[in-house]
Amino acid sequence: MSKWDAIVIGAGNGGLSAATTFAQAGKKTLLLEKHNVPGGFATSFRRGRFEFEASLHELCSFGSVPGMGNVRRIFEELGVYDKVEWCRIPDAYRMITLKDPENYDVTMPFGVAAFIDKMEQYVPGSRPSMTKLFALGEKMRDTGEFFGNIKGFDGKLVMDILQDHTDFIRVASYSSNEILKAVGVPKKARDIFNAYWCYLGEDTDTLSFVHYMGMVERYLSTGAVCAKGRSHEMSCAFQERFEELGGTVYFNSFVDRIVMKNGRAIGVHIAGRDEIEFADCIVCNSSPHNAIGKMIDPKDLPEMAVRKTNARKFAGRGFTMFLGLDKSPEELGVTNHCYMIYDTADTVYQRKSMNTIEGNNAQATCCLNLAVPGCSPEGTTIMYFTTLYTEDCWSKVKEEDYVKTKEYVANKMIDNFEKATGAKIRDAIEEIEIATPATYARYTDAPQGTIYGYNSEPWDGIVPRILMTGSDDLIPGLYFAGGYGTQLLGFGSAYTSGYQVANRIMKKQEKGERI
Amino acid sequence: MSKRKFVVKSGMIDLINFAKMIPERKAHLENGPLRRVPATYPINELAKLNHPGKMELCVSDIIVHSEDVKSYILKAENSNKKLAPFRAGQYLTVQLKIGNSLVTRPYSIASTPNDARKGFYNITVKRVPDGFVSGYILDNIKIGDKITAFSPEGTFVYEPIRDAKTVVGIAGGSGITPFLSLAGSIADGTCDADLVLLYGARTSKDLVFKAELDELGKNDKITVVYVLSDSKEKGYEKGFITAELIQKYAPETYSIFLCGPKAMYEFAGKEIEKLNIRKKFVRFELFTSASKASQIPGFPMDKDGLTFELTVRQFGKEKKITCLSNESILVALERAGIEAPARCRSGECGFCRSKLVSGDVFVPSNTDGRRIADIKFGYIHPCSTYPMSDIVIKID
Repeated sequence: MSKWDAIVIGAGNGGLSAATTFAQAGKKTLLLEKHNVPGGFATSFRRGRFEFEASLHELCSFGSVPGMGNVRRIFEELGVYDKVEWCRIPDAYRMITLKDPENYDVTMPFGVAAFIDKMEQYVPGSRPSMTKLFALGEKMRDTGEFFGNIKGFDGKLVMDILQDHTDFIRVASYSSNEILKAVGVPKKARDIFNAYWCYLGEDTDTLSFVHYMGMVERYLSTGAVCAKGRSHEMSCAFQERFEELGGTVYFNSFVDRIVMKNGRAIGVHIAGRDEIEFADCIVCNSSPHNAIGKMIDPKDLPEMAVRKTNARKFAGRGFTMFLGLDKSPEELGVTNHCYMIYDTADTVYQRKSMNTIEGNNAQATCCLNLAVPGCSPEGTTIMYFTTLYTEDCWSKVKEEDYVKTKEYVANKMIDNFEKATGAKIRDAIEEIEIATPATYARYTDAPQGTIYGYNSEPWDGIVPRILMTGSDDLIPGLYFAGGYGTQLLGFGSAYTSGYQVANRIMKKQEKGERI
Repeated sequence: MSKRKFVVKSGMIDLINFAKMIPERKAHLENGPLRRVPATYPINELAKLNHPGKMELCVSDIIVHSEDVKSYILKAENSNKKLAPFRAGQYLTVQLKIGNSLVTRPYSIASTPNDARKGFYNITVKRVPDGFVSGYILDNIKIGDKITAFSPEGTFVYEPIRDAKTVVGIAGGSGITPFLSLAGSIADGTCDADLVLLYGARTSKDLVFKAELDELGKNDKITVVYVLSDSKEKGYEKGFITAELIQKYAPETYSIFLCGPKAMYEFAGKEIEKLNIRKKFVRFELFTSASKASQIPGFPMDKDGLTFELTVRQFGKEKKITCLSNESILVALERAGIEAPARCRSGECGFCRSKLVSGDVFVPSNTDGRRIADIKFGYIHPCSTYPMSDIVIKID
């Protein structure tokens, strides 16, 4: 019978950062992963002469010294930063609409000043309101950084927020569009500014301004990066660091049960093995729905844990097509790293259309070669095309129609990309792989193949989640890290959530509180 | 921004709205429905059906083609359980306990995806000279025996978005099986492609599944050409599968799919090169890793025939076994009866990915399917890696 200070279930981004944070503090930590690689969605895979990035488009909140973003600070603090070869993303995004009356085709740069300049070109007269908006955004970033760096949560923190972050408080309860309108941003500029919305999976009438603005501001002010060896390099780097710090990892170890005693989570059972691993605390990188729905015996569940879990709504279910092409980006006519292709810039309409397989024409498309030169052999290109489904529409697909449905969506993505950009990619496809919600479900056991955690419902946005950090805990001894947490979805958010939860637990311990 | 504070609605309303956020969320959470949180979801069940991990199967029938070639009809041991669906061209990895060894072998599925829906797979086993597993299966496995297999895997499949409308299949020996599956799924309408199959054998007696292929060849979309190397017979092509022969039967644009024994890859590989077609139109299914590593180009000959100590770490435990420089690390693990993850056995799939803690190894470049970061952080695929010193690996 082994006794661990902490067990982390799942070596996804949140699990890796939580485990490494524990190990760095000298905690005896066991990290359990069902797969044979770390990272969860943060991984890569090979087909023929290509190695595909499985999920990351770009990692934000990174920046350079000084003005380092909080995600980079976590990488630095945990000793992971230097283990990764980083590449910078060249430009922010190109948004193209297929059916919008404005016929958008706009390419936006990184850098707040450059972004405002470009916006002025596309939307003359937008400069004053955009300038005002970004001044507000800078304050949101300060508050965001403040949130990103807090290691625990208590009453003093609330007082700090009230005193030092008054602009934040004024805008905190409003949606992105409410604030954009209040600032006087013209409609066309709002449309262009909102292009990143699909990175957060909720329309900008609903998305919290703090959340959306915080993300855009971080992208624009500090740029974005990715790892040369794909996100698998980041995951391997975390794992190596964790082991250097004395941590133990078991792969091929699927936790099928959280062991409870007197209402507390005290250990875990690994499928197919005899002994139970006991620990002072358990951090689960799998979703709370999995922990409450199948890992804990229903008779051990407090009523409130069930209610709180059932209250949440899943966010986007993932779909990605990966292409290895036998022509260079120039030959194909692919000029940008990140394309946002929509029917319309109306985010409410667009998001609604993503509830069916047929209706969904939104895609975020990346060309890896434009961020990582040489990522594929000379004269070839790696591209990946991602969309989200806002409802569980894939559950209606029958097994015998599954392959054909994959192909249907893939064909639509290729056609829409060619139509939007004029690039010719179809004839150059040398490798194709398609990940559907079922693939995501299989890979990480994510409910319904969700890749975006819990949706940012009007009542469940980032602000109240962060403010309620401690009170979201469901079971004594059990904590959560990853995209279902306080920081919501995204690579940076997941790393941050793991780092924060481990620190929060240790802070409680220091104070002599029961964890 | 001006010094004036930013106000959205009014100073007071903004503050009230802010103050409402926590109680509102608290109320939403606490009023969540009191019903069981689902343990699973339809999409997750589809994922499990597609990739069940281990499957417990049993041999329901054996078709004897010859003493050295038999087909095994496999059904789910629990007849209520559905078999994992697959795509024509994929393989099934069978796990067997032979003596003290725990071995795995991949076999392309000869039956069609629709057959799997009806409840069975067919795998065909051909005797490999000195083969440890093929001989065991052919001489020992009986109807009713239980077989453990892993979910179907593999990328040797027809992709309409990527491939030409016509597949020129080049098959030799037991390499015919994925094409039998493909032809079957073209015939039953599940796959929309044309197939020109060039099937090489020594004599007409060596053509396994000839009757089935003759029948499938009646379909407009399927052409079967038998190519005999050692005998001249009427109605058969004589010789090897050359560039000229491919051109004789292929339309203007086509994808080549090749599956066969090592000698065929070497010969046909050179012939295909002569055709000068784009890489995207050429697919090889690699199964056979060299039985003796010293035959692989680049093998350090001063290490030929040496024995080393292999320390294996798994789930916090450690075991010491011996390994040979001429055999892959996976073979050493299997011989010692250690359950090591493995599927394709040709370096490609990554299921056996393991950490090389210390020691030197030889990784042949043509079967090095590792990811960039795995090479950087010291990982190996034991199925295609050979020990060159005492080594320590972590296989969990």
